This record gives sequence, C-alpha cells and structure tokens, in this order.
Amino acid sequence: MLDRVRRDVERNALRARNGVKLVAGVDRPGVGQTPKDVVWQRGRTQLWHYRNDLDTYGGVRYGPPLLIVFSLVSRSYILDLTPGNSFVEQLLKAGFDVYLLDWGEPDERDAENRLEDYVDDYIPAGIDRVLELSGADEVNLFGYCFGGNLTLLYAAHHPDAPLRSLTVLATPVDFRHMGPLADVFAVGGMDVDSVIGDDGNVPPSIVVQGFRALTPTAEVTRYVTLWERLWNDEYVASYQAMTGWSDDHVPFPGAAARETAEMLVRRNGMVTDRLTVGGDPVHLGDIRVPFLTVRANRDHIVPPDATAPLIDLVGSPDKHELPLDAGHMGLVVGRTAAKTTVPTIIDFVRRRSDPLDGADSAQEA
Amino acid sequence: MTGPLWRQAFDAAERAVAPRAEDLVRSEYFSLATAVVRRARTVAGRSVQGLSARAWHLVNLPAGSDISRLRAQIGSLDREVRRLTIALEQERRRAAGRAGSPRPTTTPTTEDSDADGAQPADGARPRPARRRAQRPARP
Repeated sequence: MLDRVRRDVERNALRARNGVKLVAGVDRPGVGQTPKDVVWQRGRTQLWHYRNDLDTYGGVRYGPPLLIVFSLVSRSYILDLTPGNSFVEQLLKAGFDVYLLDWGEPDERDAENRLEDYVDDYIPAGIDRVLELSGADEVNLFGYCFGGNLTLLYAAHHPDAPLRSLTVLATPVDFRHMGPLADVFAVGGMDVDSVIGDDGNVPPSIVVQGFRALTPTAEVTRYVTLWERLWNDEYVASYQAMTGWSDDHVPFPGAAARETAEMLVRRNGMVTDRLTVGGDPVHLGDIRVPFLTVRANRDHIVPPDATAPLIDLVGSPDKHELPLDAGHMGLVVGRTAAKTTVPTIIDFVRRRSDPLDGADSAQEA
Repeated sequence: MTGPLWRQAFDAAERAVAPRAEDLVRSEYFSLATAVVRRARTVAGRSVQGLSARAWHLVNLPAGSDISRLRAQIGSLDREVRRLTIALEQERRRAAGRAGSPRPTTTPTTEDSDADGAQPADGARPRPARRRAQRPARP
C-alpha cells in the first residue's frame, strides 16, 4: 500500500515536470536529423541526398539509388523521425543510396500546381538529377501515402521511365473507402473552392480537421493516454514526435486539390481506370516494373479497403503485396516498422538491386 | 483489463461511443451537412468580401480580393516559369546526352547554382559522397 502511494507520488511529480515541458514546448525531440544535402531545387521543391558515410552506415553497397517521393499534404520528416527510429536511417544502414523529393511548404505560387506538375515535371527532373549524381541508369522509386499516388501516375504515364522497381506505402486507390475526408466531396457534393484559403491552397488546418474527423474520439483518447503515461519520459518524447507530425501539415496546392477531388475522389479514377495526366489518359495497367504495395491493416487515415485493390490494378508481372498489422505511421516508424516493414521492403528492393563493387565481400565479412 | 479504474471506465465509455461517432461521420447525412455548412460559410464570406471590396473601390483603393487576384496571377506566372525552366533543363540534359557526353551537366540557373554544390539541408558542412562505381543494370 505504502509502495503504491510512493509510486503514485513519484509519478505525479514526473507528470508535473513533463506536463510543464510539453506546455512550454521545451525538450522537443529533434526530427529529421540524418545528415543530408540539397542537391536540386525548384520552387519550394527540394531533392535531398542522405549521406551514407562509410563510418556511420557502412557506405553505399547496393545500386541503383532509392528515390522517395513524399506526400503533398504532410511533412517528410516522418520518414526520418528521430535517430534510431528512422526509415531513412534503416535504408542507409542496409547499404542504399537514398534520395528524397520533398515538396516543401506550398504558398500562393503553388496554388496553380496541378498533378501533372509533379508527375511530368518534378519527379522526372528529380530522377534525372539522381541519375546524374549517382551515375546509375535506373532508380528504385518509393512513394509514401499520396506520394505513392504520384509515383503510380508517373510510372503509368511514363512507361519508358528509368525505374528498376516501384514501392508504394499506404497508398489509397479506392477513394470510396477514404471515409468522411472523401465523402464530403463525393457524396456531399462539397466544392473544393469552399475550403480554399486566401493563398489559393487548401489550408493545413482543413487537412488536419479532415483527418481528425476519421476517428472522432481519438483526440480525447490521445489526451487521456497522455495523462496516464505522462510520467514516462520515453512515451512523452515519442508522443511529442508523433503527434507533432500528425498535427503538422502543409497546404495542399489548390489546383492539385481540385483535380484530386474530381479525378480520384468523385470519379474514383484509379479503380475505374479513368485517369488523366496533362490531358493524356493514363492506365495503372501500363505499369510493368517490379512492384510492391505495403498496406497497414489498422490504418485509420488510409483504410485497408482503400489500398487493397491496388495490387490487381497494376500490370507488373512481378508484383507483391505486403499487408501489415500496423497503423498509418506504424508502417515507417516504431517497432513494427523496424522489425517487419522496413526489413521486408529492404529485402524486396535488395533482390532487385545490384551489389556494388566490394559489397559481396563486405556482406560476407 | 489492466490500468487504473478511471482508465477502465474511460475505455468502456469510449468503446460505446466511438463506433456511433464513427458511423455518424461516415453517414451521408454528415457529408451533406458538412457540405451545406461549408457552402453557407463561403456564400456569407463572399458577400462580406463583395461589400467591403465595393467600399474600398469607392475610395479608389484596392480591396483584399484584388490582392488575392494579383497573388493568383503571380502564382500562375511563377508556375509557368518553373515548368519552362524544368523543361529547358531536361532538354539541355537530353541534348548533352545526344552529343555523346557520358555525364551531362546541368547549366546552372540561379536556383541550380545554390543546389548543385550540394547544400547541407541541416546546416552541417557538406562532405564528399563516398560512392562506389555502380554495376550496369541487369538485363
């Protein structure tokens, strides 16, 4: 009894300390810490090259390089959350040369950006730059969440693209199952223009509200769980990093949002094969490169029903699906990611990559 | 069931409420209601904006909507320039490739001159990349 009282007193003291830290915003965990260089930029878009130092990660042992295309509505540091809990770090340790195409924070200059800007301009330019820097002839392309949709459109619209493989994570194709976020446009008939802000883009607050509406009680549960475990420093650090990211969105370029609502949501174009990019019809069946789709069975942002049809839509003879018992973020951060998702992805890509000179002996050693 | 009593009570309540709340937000009624509320807010906002614009125009001053229109036009122009620059960059690469240069180099533009030197994204000093030669792709 006395021990329990003592433990409660200690925990309450820790709760008070961590509560003050949270409210004051001090001691925030550093995110996106893996060393990288900006190797190309255009507008707000930057191409990052992560340094695979021989001493830290063992150097580049496999080619061709990996290019990650990130989503348009959130920040890319989720893939490089904290040291030791970083998708990018694991890829580097596995011996890959990793690049990431980050869209930055769109402003009024991006309000007219259409999907074709990303699919036909930025991604091809990013790939060219990667090829130029690495000396490779191909890249392994990765798409995360809506970035996966961009890579699918790119691969389908550019059948001659220099791709060794395409991997998409938590990428929705059947937008009928995207919940209230899509229903307000598809069923309610809401006009995207009614949510466009002064800068011509969909404000991040609208995007956050949309995601919160998917699980209406999650917000309350989140605070209750935080209170319960506020004494635990490790939990608080993880809470700060994860919720910091889930509340930290970027504006969705207005024209791309209109196109998404019309083509992907109302027409459900990926499933009904009614896709166009820059006026050209595009078919996912034209994707022929080795393909992997990773989906999370407990994903409340991109429900499994929204991702499930993808494997049948892609025309690749060498295609694979990896359903995992994880949430949306759990695919790339946390224990499931470290133990299952990332090693499986690494294995898939490694099988479709070439060991570079000396890598075989390094592996054996 | 583990955890303190208050947590168990909360979890029980949450289990009872959550499915109903989720059903509600996934209902057609919710989508329609959200769309109607949004539309009403937009109409109201535009009416107020129209009135204030008229007031500013009366004294020969630009209104917020004029500035928004200008910003949109600048944005559109910026996009065109970006797209043209990328197209030009791609064309230069292709031309360099056709000319037989094994490693085409990008002609630096203002932005390239910043990026080509590999700026450290995290403020640290850039280090030379340690990369081994890649084997040709498998047939």
